[in-house]
Amino acid sequence: MPIPSQDRAHFLFLKLHSLTGIFPIGAFLVLHLSVNSLRTVGVWQYQLSIDLINNLPFLIVIETLFIYIPLLIHSLMGFYIIFSGKINLRHYPYPRNWGYTLQRITGAVVFFFLIYHMGTTVGPKLLYGKEQFEAAPFLIDIMNREFSNWTGRFLYLVGIVSATYHFCMGLWSFCVSWGIIIGPAAQRNAGIVFALFGLALTALGVATVAEFSLDPLPVDATVEGGAS
Amino acid sequence: MMKRQSKVIIIGGGLAGLSAAMKLCELGAEVVIVAYQSLKRSHSVCAQGGINAAMDARGEGDSPDNHFYDTIKGGDFLAEQPLVRDMCHQAPAIIHLLDRMGVPFNRTAEGHLAFRRFGGTLYSRTAFAGATTGQQMVYSLDEQVRRYEHDGLVQKLEWHEYLGAVLDSEGVCRGAVIHNLRTNHVDCLPGDAVILATGGPSQVYAGSTASTVNTGAAATMAYLQGAQYANAEFIQIHPTAIPGQDKLRLMSESARGEGGRIWVPKRVGDPRTAENIPEDERYYFLEEKYPHFGNLVPRDVASREIYDIVYQQKLGIGGEAMVYLDLTHKTREFLDDRLGGIIDTYTKFTGQDPRTTPMKIFPAVHYSMGGLWTDYETDAHGMIDTRSPRNQMTSITGLYAGGEVDYQYHGANRLGANSLLSCIYTGLMMAPGVIQYTRNLGKAPEDVPSSLFDQARSFWANRLQSIKKMNGSVNPYRLHKELGNLMMENVLIVRNNQKLEQAVEKIDEIEEKFKSVQCVDSSDWANPTASFINQLYCMIHLSRIITRGALMRDEFRGAHYKPEFDLNQPADFDPHEYIDYLERSHYEKVPEEAFPQGHLAYMKRYESNNEKWLKTSLATFKNNQPEITYAPVNTSIMTPRPRKYD
Amino acid sequence: MKTETVTLKIKRQNTPSGKPYWETFETPKKPLSNIISCLQEIQRNPVTADGMPVNPVAWDCNCLEEVCGSCTMLINGRVRQACTALLDQLGSTVTLEPLTKFPVVRDLQVDRSRMFKSLKKVNAWIEIDGSHDIGEGPMMPDNIRAKRYVLSECMSCGCCLEACPQFTLGNEFLGAATFSQVRLFNMHPTGQAKKEDRLDALMGKGGIADCGNAQVCVEVCPKNIPLTESIADIGRQTSLKLLRDFLSK
Repeated sequence: MPIPSQDRAHFLFLKLHSLTGIFPIGAFLVLHLSVNSLRTVGVWQYQLSIDLINNLPFLIVIETLFIYIPLLIHSLMGFYIIFSGKINLRHYPYPRNWGYTLQRITGAVVFFFLIYHMGTTVGPKLLYGKEQFEAAPFLIDIMNREFSNWTGRFLYLVGIVSATYHFCMGLWSFCVSWGIIIGPAAQRNAGIVFALFGLALTALGVATVAEFSLDPLPVDATVEGGAS
Repeated sequence: MMKRQSKVIIIGGGLAGLSAAMKLCELGAEVVIVAYQSLKRSHSVCAQGGINAAMDARGEGDSPDNHFYDTIKGGDFLAEQPLVRDMCHQAPAIIHLLDRMGVPFNRTAEGHLAFRRFGGTLYSRTAFAGATTGQQMVYSLDEQVRRYEHDGLVQKLEWHEYLGAVLDSEGVCRGAVIHNLRTNHVDCLPGDAVILATGGPSQVYAGSTASTVNTGAAATMAYLQGAQYANAEFIQIHPTAIPGQDKLRLMSESARGEGGRIWVPKRVGDPRTAENIPEDERYYFLEEKYPHFGNLVPRDVASREIYDIVYQQKLGIGGEAMVYLDLTHKTREFLDDRLGGIIDTYTKFTGQDPRTTPMKIFPAVHYSMGGLWTDYETDAHGMIDTRSPRNQMTSITGLYAGGEVDYQYHGANRLGANSLLSCIYTGLMMAPGVIQYTRNLGKAPEDVPSSLFDQARSFWANRLQSIKKMNGSVNPYRLHKELGNLMMENVLIVRNNQKLEQAVEKIDEIEEKFKSVQCVDSSDWANPTASFINQLYCMIHLSRIITRGALMRDEFRGAHYKPEFDLNQPADFDPHEYIDYLERSHYEKVPEEAFPQGHLAYMKRYESNNEKWLKTSLATFKNNQPEITYAPVNTSIMTPRPRKYD
Repeated sequence: MKTETVTLKIKRQNTPSGKPYWETFETPKKPLSNIISCLQEIQRNPVTADGMPVNPVAWDCNCLEEVCGSCTMLINGRVRQACTALLDQLGSTVTLEPLTKFPVVRDLQVDRSRMFKSLKKVNAWIEIDGSHDIGEGPMMPDNIRAKRYVLSECMSCGCCLEACPQFTLGNEFLGAATFSQVRLFNMHPTGQAKKEDRLDALMGKGGIADCGNAQVCVEVCPKNIPLTESIADIGRQTSLKLLRDFLSK
């Protein structure tokens, strides 16, 4: 394959933006929300899964390759896209235009939310994690503190809803722009399916927030048969 | 010696101009297209119903000769027969060409071209792309021209207006004067030949289906510069249009071609809505009067009948000047597929759905059969000599005309779906002759003294300057409306000499008023008013040619109807009798009893009327007035005979 | 009897670089009046509502039956053709503005040549051998013709571009109309010869990937062209080309 021209590179970067949003970022979002929702099943299950993930070999490499770099590309291109358009809801308030506008707003919201979220979780983990491990008690402790007040809960709710919206709208948009769904009926039906999927994801996230807020349990080191 | 590249200037970006441009590019010419607007927006896009070509796709026994016969008969024998024959024989090739260029013509189940019926013929010979055939054809030609533009062969000068031809001391056209409608600069384009493809003049009427650019100004300017204008009095009134403040909108003849029926309530001033009038209380007057052709009589006949129903018999809907055009018996799917374009137009402009409610329509000025006189040449066999530089050349050497702006193809009345054909045909046909002409020219445009162009440029720059300084009390747009109303009242479907004489006088009055026009726009940038005043000046002259032509032609032929000169064809007359009569009268004095009573007298009237009036009227600009003379028509192929459609 | 009138607030601009300003006109409301007939009325009586004589408003129009695309403008803020804007369907006060995504020429006139440049860029034509008679065109089922016809009704009016949040005055975005034309020509048996070139042109800056899926285009298209379907279809064609190029070049 020849080296793409500058013109083609522009196209490829936008395609990359679209692709990274689904995989790996979207996939990670689903995984992240699913794993965290184990908290509603039981602290022990939650703790186990966290430790499992945090003890993966080459975790930092995996995280960098499959989360941090794609997230960075997606965000940079995302802001480029936001600034390349001009919102016009006032005169054209059609549902899909709302969708488009919210997609841009939620994208920005998620970006700033992630800075906060990573700052309070990943940051300390990377900084102090080495001494503190095992990770679960350390991280769960942080999360319990995050959800101990309404500001924290609100921030997370906004972040989660924005992320699930952005992802599911992005899924639909991905299917249209890559030409997976074409006709108006297919586009409408896919929209319904992705909306339901989005609601399910949101429910997972909200349930997790509720569980943390209503029942903040500290945990000890991961020991078989510990707190449950 | 290397042949130099011919440079041809085409004025107008409709079907005729675009097809000429395409052909000339193929033949290696350098082409400049000058147009008021972007080429995609020319008036040809308004053509709806289709384009005729006798391909006998339905096994009805149609042939180009039948097409020729219908066209000549439809035009009441005033069309130039050798040209019409060639056009009808070229028509199938033109359809194939358009099809190859991507015009989305409707197709049959097997995937072949579909054809529908149109007025003035009993055959299905109209190829169509929904109800927006003209638009589709313009786009396909525009795309081909864009391809040549991409390859550097065509230069487009959009937002430019043609002001006049640059004529040298021998009266040969050496280029065109053009006006940039944005910067308002006047410039000269030197060229080997100039082609006017500027369309019709219907804006001289207040109620027409024309686009706003159809002022006829370019053609009139040619007339003012010495070209002859032919058959001006033959203005087609289309039977079916819908009213509007700004224009009347066409409801295509294809509505009737696809089964649409024209009717009025039988009771005068019936207040009921169409849906509440039972079948036996509806008067399908065209079907009753013309059992053979029914709703598909030619346009002149249909318009006259509607006029008669509404004004003489007072049977218009609710007493108003309207009749029903009914499509409600057709299925929704059928209508959307075949007539979607006009159904949408009707719905958007009236708020009513023709799928469920009959349309209310009335005749409107639509087309000019007449136009600039143009020449052609036949070979020894009477066939068109396709390489002749004379083909489509106006009376000004080097100035050509094609499309609605010419005159030879439609006689006294045009058949529906023949206009698109004549546009494409003339555009393509003239190209080899134009090239030949430019090859024969001694001088290249560069060899023409530049003073000639300087003079023309400064003449026009000064003229536009003086127009801009006009500071009287008359608003030019209002004066245009006054002129348009005058033409509507006096030079329409039914004409009489007294009213025509009054109209001639009133046009003089309007010309007088024109002197006190005010240029209401003072801008030096993109000022449309100065151009418009110049166009208005042309329209005044053009309306005078039309009116004067109508006044002088004392007969009833095609669209030109003067009741007092109606030859009163006997109801049981058969046109074949006339052929018999001509043959017999060759050898003997035909006795009265050889034909049914009254027929011989009628045929003699017809024969002597033709001797006097089967002529092309030619207007020449002299002393500020049109001098009208008459020239013979080439009827060498088919003997003129009385028309009959019932 | 007092005739009913309509108030027109018109955004005017004398030259491309001039400063826009507003003027108000009152015109009589006659039966079947549309915005065009109001503007014509202003030509016949170029006086503002305050009685000030001014230059008549300049605007573009031609066919007046919504097939030429000329008279596109913003009417009460929304893009549409002035000819089909009947007064009965608008309020007693109507605002008229020039399109905002194209350079203003004067008053309501704008320069839409960008659209035609785009058509040139994507080779929006069918490459025929010549206009001489070489027989019938390619056979085509009527359902393909029907699909092409709908796309072919595009009159380059610019509504879809004006209403598109991704299409701006300064950028290079080709926009829905152009994508749909590529689909039209790629669908034609002969047009397919240039398919790769057309797709190439769409796989660059301003191309299909710049579409943000706001789908306003399809809502404002006066010809009801399935623009979003075209966009998705071109999405598929370019995706497949991307894969093809990746694997076989």
